[in-house]
This record gives sequence, structure tokens and C-alpha cells, in this order.
Amino acid sequence: MKVLKSWLNDWIDISEISNEDISEGLESLGFEIEEQSDLKPNYSNIVVGKVLEIYPHPNADKVRVTKTDVGSKTYEIVCGAWNFDVGAVVPVALPNSEIKDGFKIDKRDIRGVESNGMICSASELNLWDDHEGILILDDNILPGTDFSSIYASSDYLWDIGITPNRGDCMSYLGIARELSNYFDKKINIKKSKLNPSITNILNTNSGKIKECNSYGSVEIENFKVTDSSFLIRYRLSNVGTRIINNVVDITNYILYDVGQPLHAFDRDKLFNTVSVRKAKNNEIVTTLDSQKRKLTNDDLVITDGDKPIALAGVMGGLETEVTDSTVNLLIESAYFDKVSIMKTSRKLGLISDASIRFERGIDFNIQKYGLEQFLMILKDSQDIKYSELSIDTKNNIKNEKINLKKNEIKKLLGIELKDSFIKKTLKNLMIDVEIKNDNIEFTAPSWRYDLDRPVDLIEEFAKHYGFNNFSSNLPQGLYKNEKGNFWKVKEYLSKILISNNFQEIQTLSFVNKEMNTVFNPEKKYVTVFNAIDKSNNYLRSNLMSNLLDTYIFNLQQNNILNSYFEINTVFNSSVDNTFNDVPNQNVVLGFITSANLTTQDIRKSDQNIDIYYVKSLINQLINDTQLEPIIKPGFHQNYSFSIFKKNEIIGHFGQLSTELQNNFEIENEVFLGEIYVNKLNLNELKQINYKPLSQYPYIKFDLSFSVPVEFSAHLIVDEINKLLSKNENEIEIFDDFQHENSRNLGIRIVTRSYEKTYDDNETRQILMKISDSLEAKFKITLNSGNND
Amino acid sequence: MPEVNTEKIFASFLLSVEQVTSIDEFNDLEKEYLGKNSLISEERKKLSSMSEISRKKYGKVLQELSTQISERLNQERLSFQSKFFKEKELNDNKDITINWYKDLGSREHVLTSVMNEVVDIFSAIGYTVATGPEAETSWHNFDALNTPDWHPARYESDTLYLDKNLEQLLRTQTSTVQVRHMQNNKPPVYIVAPGRVYRSDQLDATHSPVFHQIEGLAVDENLTFSDLKGTLEYFVQEFFGKGIKTKFIPHFFPFTEPSAEVLVSWKDGEWLEILGCGMVDPNVFQHVGYDKNSQGFAFGVGVERLAMIRYKIDHIKNFYENDLRFLRQF
Repeated sequence: MKVLKSWLNDWIDISEISNEDISEGLESLGFEIEEQSDLKPNYSNIVVGKVLEIYPHPNADKVRVTKTDVGSKTYEIVCGAWNFDVGAVVPVALPNSEIKDGFKIDKRDIRGVESNGMICSASELNLWDDHEGILILDDNILPGTDFSSIYASSDYLWDIGITPNRGDCMSYLGIARELSNYFDKKINIKKSKLNPSITNILNTNSGKIKECNSYGSVEIENFKVTDSSFLIRYRLSNVGTRIINNVVDITNYILYDVGQPLHAFDRDKLFNTVSVRKAKNNEIVTTLDSQKRKLTNDDLVITDGDKPIALAGVMGGLETEVTDSTVNLLIESAYFDKVSIMKTSRKLGLISDASIRFERGIDFNIQKYGLEQFLMILKDSQDIKYSELSIDTKNNIKNEKINLKKNEIKKLLGIELKDSFIKKTLKNLMIDVEIKNDNIEFTAPSWRYDLDRPVDLIEEFAKHYGFNNFSSNLPQGLYKNEKGNFWKVKEYLSKILISNNFQEIQTLSFVNKEMNTVFNPEKKYVTVFNAIDKSNNYLRSNLMSNLLDTYIFNLQQNNILNSYFEINTVFNSSVDNTFNDVPNQNVVLGFITSANLTTQDIRKSDQNIDIYYVKSLINQLINDTQLEPIIKPGFHQNYSFSIFKKNEIIGHFGQLSTELQNNFEIENEVFLGEIYVNKLNLNELKQINYKPLSQYPYIKFDLSFSVPVEFSAHLIVDEINKLLSKNENEIEIFDDFQHENSRNLGIRIVTRSYEKTYDDNETRQILMKISDSLEAKFKITLNSGNND
Repeated sequence: MPEVNTEKIFASFLLSVEQVTSIDEFNDLEKEYLGKNSLISEERKKLSSMSEISRKKYGKVLQELSTQISERLNQERLSFQSKFFKEKELNDNKDITINWYKDLGSREHVLTSVMNEVVDIFSAIGYTVATGPEAETSWHNFDALNTPDWHPARYESDTLYLDKNLEQLLRTQTSTVQVRHMQNNKPPVYIVAPGRVYRSDQLDATHSPVFHQIEGLAVDENLTFSDLKGTLEYFVQEFFGKGIKTKFIPHFFPFTEPSAEVLVSWKDGEWLEILGCGMVDPNVFQHVGYDKNSQGFAFGVGVERLAMIRYKIDHIKNFYENDLRFLRQF
């Protein structure tokens, strides 16, 4: 809400308080300052003039020539607006003056007539948007008066945020009430003195429903639609409200000033009792904006007899609208149920200054005061006649007495408050209270909806004590630097990937259907019911599609990198393993890498990225794993593996199918994998089985076996390890040569005894034992000619 | 008795040393002057046939020459060697202004590193990491957190739902983890819950349908508003630096009371909001089955916001596009 200093000053004397102090006060009371500005006139050298004569322009039809008295002189000024007559008092931009946006005004020839300046509209002076034409001033202002002196030309404006629990602060009165405690200054409640002189011709009541607690009204006769006062237009335009006419402007003004939304009907368009009821389903009312609104039983309508004439609290109806010819009014001042108004306004997308106040809760006791203030302003400017106020209230709303024990204040806030502070705060906030020993019995005032529990009052004390005046203390938990298994596993795995030149990414969780089906055609997907982007309404079932997207996207950006990973949640519609009330969700580490990307550099990494590289990466990430081939959609027929640890599946990896590689137009072979982070335990990942070092020299020999093409090399390695299980061994395949149907495997064996140095004879025996066992067990042949 | 002219030999040795061009030549010289077939060795062989006096005398002469040569040789060798390597290094003079090895990524995502940093700051004072599901029930996301069923945050324009009955949704705040955690753990509780949250927003410069928060919760005997204040002041100083000022202004959240927003004074003197916090509302304790006299505080930090403030990042979109030009800068 926008707060104008001069307006606020009506309620609380802040003229002597600096803008900085007021800002600090507002903020410490919980009004976040979104913007603040010093208002200065956006013009110079503008004076008040009185039009003495008007005559036609000799060479132009669309403009007239005036003689205007500007105090010191009378000038001939050409003017294109027609909304004024001889005698009008108007703002005049003299030669050598400046209007809005720094526009310079000077003497100027307009089709053969010299115009000595310009008669201005409100918008030309940056006051408010007005398409009616020239700004007409009060008749009694003397010509020659400096225009900036006739209203608060310099002012200060705050745009503050008001939290949804404080509907009572959405008015100048409400803000003044809060500041009155902060600055310890009294509020000036505006008095009203009325003389009703007509009798009501319409009956009004609050209907039979509980959603309308009070319905107040007053009838006005002898009214004329015209401009509202200069002051009202100035204030409203600065709080961002469109200037319409006196009746609309004054209802808006009361809404901002005291927080009571009002609505004006043309009384002559009403014929029966005016009341409130729930709409019938499919009932239609045409609102002020000429839209036909189809209603349901949740909506409240104002009725004339049974006929709906307005959407209660949200928008008036077109049929009973006040128009230029209106002479008699019915002004409504009601209290409608918060939730009911909120539902209607959200459903119809009609959010107005009034509906926001109703939905946050207006003072349930201010309907009469709102009407009185309206009349006070209107009767000052027009000779109207008005009726007694009619207020029909059910008195359904009542704030209960609540008890707060004083020691609870210290228990929650950690500070001791003085009785004098407690008393002063409650008094200034107009909270009814009875303090007996350690008990504070309080009743919230009619405008407060946020004070119905003891803790609510504690908050009030804390706020008015000032959050920044509290002392600070740092409590600590028992388990320091104990982040927990999940977080540590995440950190552990990402550290390893990063050291292998993988870049971490974060992609959105929403995907299109294909991004799920390509890798998980069998999964039941989770979809977003009200997705923002209807084509991406799936929650992802895997991270690999996003990884591929990122890989390709960066290549298209000429960003050369082949390795990425992401750790995030994937979803499917079966029941979650941990929480049985939500869809299945698992945190997965997904990675992608590919054969090295060519760069223009003359130096290249000698690391060749292929399926063996990825396999060793898996081993580096997770110790003691076993791999098993698995056919997976999207993956290479042969190069796709499940990863097991302790007989539990903890992930999978493989090569992207060559068909997809082709479809994605990727040049190199691509490898992808996923690891189920939740299944890993950091202690197991970091488990180390220390083997002592042998003190004896090694013996080393290379063997070559002729094996079948489909033979698995690790069988040999495992078998040799078994044969030499008492030794310290390094056994590796160093060659795998295939030609047509023949295949040779080269195995390098380095072994050390823990007990002795092998002599030549023993070495030969070991060699024999290995080759004989392998030949017998796997029906393979030792190639001749190989030896150490 | 013929004796060798030691001075002449030494002079000839020095001459040879001067002509050395590689380190290996010192070995040759050593062989030539001190080796088996050197003149000195030849002369030594003659000693046995000499009288004792001559032998002693001549032996001493030979020994002195040998020592003289040997010492000089070592000295020359060392100085040659040192000069040689110095020159070798001087000649190896690459232009290191060329970046042959390009910056190849290998980083955490900036959001991850900010999250890790925040988690570390809190784990140092005894907070452990808690997690909860991202696809949640409306009860955990709203009801348990004291958000009435008419609250605007529940509208479909704000929250992404998974079913038409609006019973399941994508959590809009990590505060859900508070609820899950308290349902399963007794006090004392000191947790932080980093994670993804979702809102119904299009991805643009300032909005994202996905973003990250870190929730904190402490429930323990006698925790007060002063403890909340001290904890968040500690966090701000650890994260932004010791000199930074903070202020607390009252705010409103359904699940805390009193509630506050924390602002920090940034470099240009501007105050920036960085987190929301408050004392846990008694209704929340009641919903999770805690004793109604329980006391504690909760806070929530936006991870993107922390990163944007610290690194002056202009577009939230950057975090999720994963353009390496962006990722490599952190």
C-alpha cells in the first residue's frame, strides 16, 4: 500500500518526524518498505490564471483563443481543450516554464496567433491522468498564485508491504494506529456531525445469511456527479487510484482512509428491499465492466427484491450504476465474510481494493463510521440532503477473552518485559485488558483478526519491543559435523566425479513424455495436474534424458566438454519406499560421458574414454561391485550392465544405443549411468581392507592363451587369484587380440610370496601350475613361445 | 731414478678440463688421470721395486698428485654440472601465457556449492541433514504447517498439484521436512533440510518453477527468540563475512509466531532480504504430535537468492540452463 506523508498526518502528527525515522518505524513494525520517494513538483513556473475572454481562432477550428489573467499581466493563449468557459480558474504554464518530463513551454506561433504559454491539464502537470481536458481549479484562488503553493507540493511517499494477517493496516487509520505506539503519539479520530433531513424510502438489511454480519446504508438526494476535490484527487492519484468522479473518488478515499469499502448505487434504479443472499447456481449478474458473471451458491449477491444487483464485496452491477445523470444515491457500507469474498474474487479473477480488504478482514464495527466520513466529505462540497444511517447488524462476530500468563512471555522471547511497557503497548494498541498478578486477560479490538491465542499477544509485544533490541544467543546441537549418511554419500561421489573432470549440472524436474519413455518405457509416470507448460507435464523418471540434452546443448554452444553429472530426484507412480503416502521418489546420481571430443588444440588428453573407462570409473566410485549384463531400452545390446553391491542392485550403466546416438546426431560413442544414492552407505564406500606388503622380491611372467571368442577374461584373472591366494598378486590382462574366429588373451602375473624369495625352480612350478589349471578348467590353450 | 713431472701432468689435466663439453667427459678424464692405466697407476707399479726411502718419498708425491687431480676434478665436475643444468633450464623457456590445457569444467554446480556451504555452517553447530519427499501430500505442505484451506498459496495458480483432488503436490517449501522429521523423531531436534521446491511459475529472469531452499529447525528445551536471533546472525556472518550487519523485521508466516525476515546490509548499503524465520507455531507442534509446550524455531533460506546476491547473478534462468559458459565461472 502507498502511504503519503501528508495524508497520514491527518491521523497522527508526524510533521516534525524525519522521513528516515518514519521509515525505520514502519519497518520495525513489520511493514516492509518496497519503495520510497520524495515527491517534488514535476514542473516549474506554473501560475494560476483566470480566463477572461474566449474567442475563435481565425485560422483553426479545433482551438480557441483566450485572454487569461495571470496576475501581473493578461496573456493571449491558444487552447485546444473545450471543457472550460469564461471565468474558469486554471493552471497556466507561462513562457519559459516547464511541464511534465522536462517539456519546455515558450511563446509560440499557432497558425498566425501568438500563444503566450499553455493552459494545462492535470496529466500535463504529472498530477493524474485526466482525459477531460484542462484542470479546473477552485474559483476563489487568486490569479498569479504560484501553482505549487496550493497543495502539498512536496511530500513523501512510501510503498509498503502489508502481511496478509494484518488487513486492519490496509488503511491510513490502521497504519496510524501502529505508529501511534511507536512514536507514542495520539491518534486524531475524525469526528462527524450530521444533520439528516430526509427519510429513507428504501429498506435495507443484512439478509438471513451469516456471511453478511452487517449491512449499513444511507440515502442521499440532490446529488450531482462532478469532480472530487483537488485534495482527494491529489491523494488518490498518488496512491495509484484512477480518478473517476466525486462519488467514486470519495468511496475510494474512505476505503483508503478508514478501511471500509463502500459502494454507491443509483437509488432511482432500486425499487424493493435491498438485501444480501447467496447466489443461486448459474444465476447471472452483469458487473460494472459489462461482463456477464455466472455465479454459484458460494457467491454473495446484493439484491433488489430478489433480483441480484451486485457481487457483494467484489464488484457492483451495471444496471444500478451511478451515471452522470444520477441525482439520488444509496451508499452501502457492509461487512462480508472473509473466505466467501476471497473465493468469489479468486474464482472470477476479480481482485479489487475492496475485495482484498474484505478477504483479509475489515473492522467489523466500522460500517457506521465509514458512512459518516463519506457524508462529511460529500456535504462539504455539495448541498446534499441525506437520511439517517441504517445499520442492520447480526452481532455475530465477537472477540473472546484470552488469558496470557506473564511468564510465558519470557519463556518464548527470552527477555523480561517491564509492566509499564506491557501496559503502555496494550493501551496504545487499544487492546482491552485486565492484568491480575501474573495473568493478562485481553480482548482483541474489532479490527484485529490475528489476536486469538496467547502467543499472538506475545508476538505483539516482541514486535513493539523491537526485534533488533533482543539479545542474541547461539544454541548448539549435540552432533557436530555429523551431516548424515545421505549428504556425505552425495559429497563423496561428487568429489570423485569432479576429480575425473565431470561437471555437475542442475536441470528442471519437468520433462516431456518422450524423455521418460526413451529410457523407461515400462514405468508408470507421475504427471503434474496443473502443469505450467503442458508439453512438459511429466516428472522425470530418469536423469539421463536431461544429461543428454545438456551434453548436446553445450556442444551447440561450442562449449566443449564430454562429462556431466547430476544428483536429483526421479519419480514414478508406485508407492514410495519410505513414505507410504506419496509417489515413489529416489535420489539418483546420473552421469554422461563420451569418447573425447575433438578440439583444435594440438595437445590432447591421452585418456581414451570407452566402456572400459566407464567401468573403471564405477569401480572408483563404488568399491566391491559386480556387474551383470542387462538389456535396457536406450542402451547398446552388449554394453549395458547392472551394478550390484552385496547382491543388491545399486545402479546401472552402459553405452547409449547406436541408434539413439545416430538419432541425436552425436558423433562419438556416449556412455550413461545411474547410481541409486539412497542405497549406498558411506562407511561401506570408505571401507578399506588393508593387506600387508610382502617383504620378498616379485616374480613376473606374461602368458598368452588362445581362447574362444565369447570367453570372459575375468574368469582367468579370478582363477589365478584363487591359485595364488596366499600371495600378494597383481594380475592383469595386457592384450586381447582377435582375428576372425581366433582370440588370444595376454595375461601379466606379478606375484610375491609372504614367506620367501622364489628360486628359478619354484617360479617354473608356479607357472606350470597356473597354465595347467587354466587349460584344464577352461579348455583353453597356452600359446607356445611365451614366458617371463 | 726417473720421476714424472707432476706439475706437467697437472697442467695437462687442467688443459683437458678446460676443454670438457659434456658431463660424461669428466668420467673419461678420471679414467685417464686416475684410472688403472693412467700414468699415476703406471708409476705406482714401480714403487715396489724401489728402496724404502725412495718408495715413501715417491709414493707421497704420487699420492699428492692423485689427490690434487681428484679434488680438482670433483670441483670442476660440480661446477660444470651446476652450470650445465642452469643453462638447460634457461633454454627451456615456454610461453606460459598460452592456455594449452583448457578449463574443462569439473566443478560442483554453484547451487550445490552454496548448499554445501550452508550445510557445513550449520553442521558445525550440531545440525544434521534431514530430507523429505519432493512430491508431497497437501497435508504436509499446508495443513500441518497451519495454512488454512482458503489460503491463497493453495491456489492452483501458485502450487503444482499431482491430482485433481489436490491431495498431492510438489512441495512449495522445504518446511515439509520439519513436519516429517518431527513425526518420526523426539526432541531435541537440530536439523537442516536442503532441497528442491516447486511453484507454478514460468522460467524467466526472476522466476523458476524449480528452486532450492534450506530449511532449519531447532526444538529443544528453553529455546527462545534470542536463540533464533543468535543462530541466524551466526549464519549470516559465516556466509557473508564477519563485518556484515543484519536486521530482523517482523513478518508473517502461518507456521511461525513471532515471524521475522532477516535483512543484510550489502556492499552498496542496500538492505537485502535473505531469509524468513520465526518461533515454531504451537499449532505445528500439535499437528506433529509434540507436546504443546514444546518450543523451538525454524528458518528458510533461498539458495538461488544467496547465490545471486553473493555473485551478482542477474538471471535465475542461468542456474537451470547449464550453459558451461555459466557453470565454469564458479
